[in-house]
Amino acid sequence: MNTYLTQMWAIIWKDLILEIRSRERIAAMGAFAVLAGVLFNFSIDTTTTRPQDVAAGLIWMTLVFGGLLGVGRTFHLESQDGALQGVLMSPAPKDAVFLAKTAANFALLYAVSLLVLGVFGLFFGVGPGQNLGWVVLVLGVGSLGFVALGTLFAAVSTGTSMGETLLPVLVFPLLVPMVIYGAGATTWLMNGRPFVEVEGNVRMLGAFALAAVAAGAVLFRYVVED
Amino acid sequence: MSTAGMRRGGTALVVLGLLGLIALYWMAFFWVSTEVNQGVVQRIFYVHVPAAWTSFLAIGFAALASGMYLWLRDDRLDRAALCAIEGGLVFATLVLTTGPLWGKIAWGTYWTWEPRLTLTLLLWFIFVGYFMVRNSTEDPEKGKRFAAVVAIVGAMDIPFIHLSVIWFRSLHPEPVVAKPDGPTLPGDMLATLLFGVLVFSLLFFGLFLFRYAVEGLRAEADLRARSVA
Repeated sequence: MNTYLTQMWAIIWKDLILEIRSRERIAAMGAFAVLAGVLFNFSIDTTTTRPQDVAAGLIWMTLVFGGLLGVGRTFHLESQDGALQGVLMSPAPKDAVFLAKTAANFALLYAVSLLVLGVFGLFFGVGPGQNLGWVVLVLGVGSLGFVALGTLFAAVSTGTSMGETLLPVLVFPLLVPMVIYGAGATTWLMNGRPFVEVEGNVRMLGAFALAAVAAGAVLFRYVVED
Repeated sequence: MSTAGMRRGGTALVVLGLLGLIALYWMAFFWVSTEVNQGVVQRIFYVHVPAAWTSFLAIGFAALASGMYLWLRDDRLDRAALCAIEGGLVFATLVLTTGPLWGKIAWGTYWTWEPRLTLTLLLWFIFVGYFMVRNSTEDPEKGKRFAAVVAIVGAMDIPFIHLSVIWFRSLHPEPVVAKPDGPTLPGDMLATLLFGVLVFSLLFFGLFLFRYAVEGLRAEADLRARSVA
């Protein structure tokens, strides 16, 4: 068990160091999040639509699209120069590789989702108010489910000739529960409703995330084997 | 079973299914009593619901075969999954065609985000994703593995999608057959519906066997071409 965690940590650390030094994905996702906020601002007539009614939905859509941008490239750099073979040939079991990749992606996407929350608060003057802690939790649980499915299917799409263009087709239908429960809970919380009213949603979101992580950990080995 | 035997079995089931389909249409149009509230339009129910059940049967079957394929690596299991997904795509398309036709008259709109209709639409996209993944790899073995993963994750996600879209909104008629306190459908309607389910299952398995035999022949031909080359 201890070796397992050490192996996982080695891969997480490698991915995070790579990201901190290159800032390739985090910069693209962060810029996307801010610019999406700008475009949403011009696409909505705030004299007829109250921003707080649509903000939660926009936050989640930004998270999905921005997340796909970054998560889709999880294996891009490594597959380019054959480094992925090295990672896969290391003594770490395949599920440890998957969990580590998912964890690194999670750190990335969670950071972006908090940025999105801040950007929308700034641009639209809407915020979770006293429910800040709960909204941050919901975003975290949702991000986990997203990166688990995203990482698994990023490995699939990297291996196809269509590449990242295939990713939305595969992932969007599967993400519907995450968007429904996540955006639903966020809307209620941002409108000042107490957490108990959305607890069921958050539980389902958590179950979805756990199922996605477990499915990915089991199935990842079949995707990357050669 | 031999390939030829499977083709014969498939043909027999399809012919039986088509004859059953004629009988089902006769029952749906002439025999069964007209529903009080919706009138004649409700008769599309006897095609719509069996097609929906069959498409969900298909994804379950395909996911099972895919899981077994990843475990045993027998190409026959992969072919079974492929043929089940093809059949599922056909029946899901049928649901998505009959649903809006019914909906336009019953609800006054072609499309609503009604849970079961939404679920079928997403299932349809999962089926399409299966083919896109399968056909976009250079190495066919890789395509088989990827497609199997799509089928398994898709089938696993269906309960979640189901629960979430129900939570989101429900306009659809309540379930009338699979309920804890027994079916509430009048006898003749239930009989017609169950007969429809039987007919569609026959058609599905007939088409499935037929397609499976064809895929087997294709694999054989590929093997022969490779041994000649």
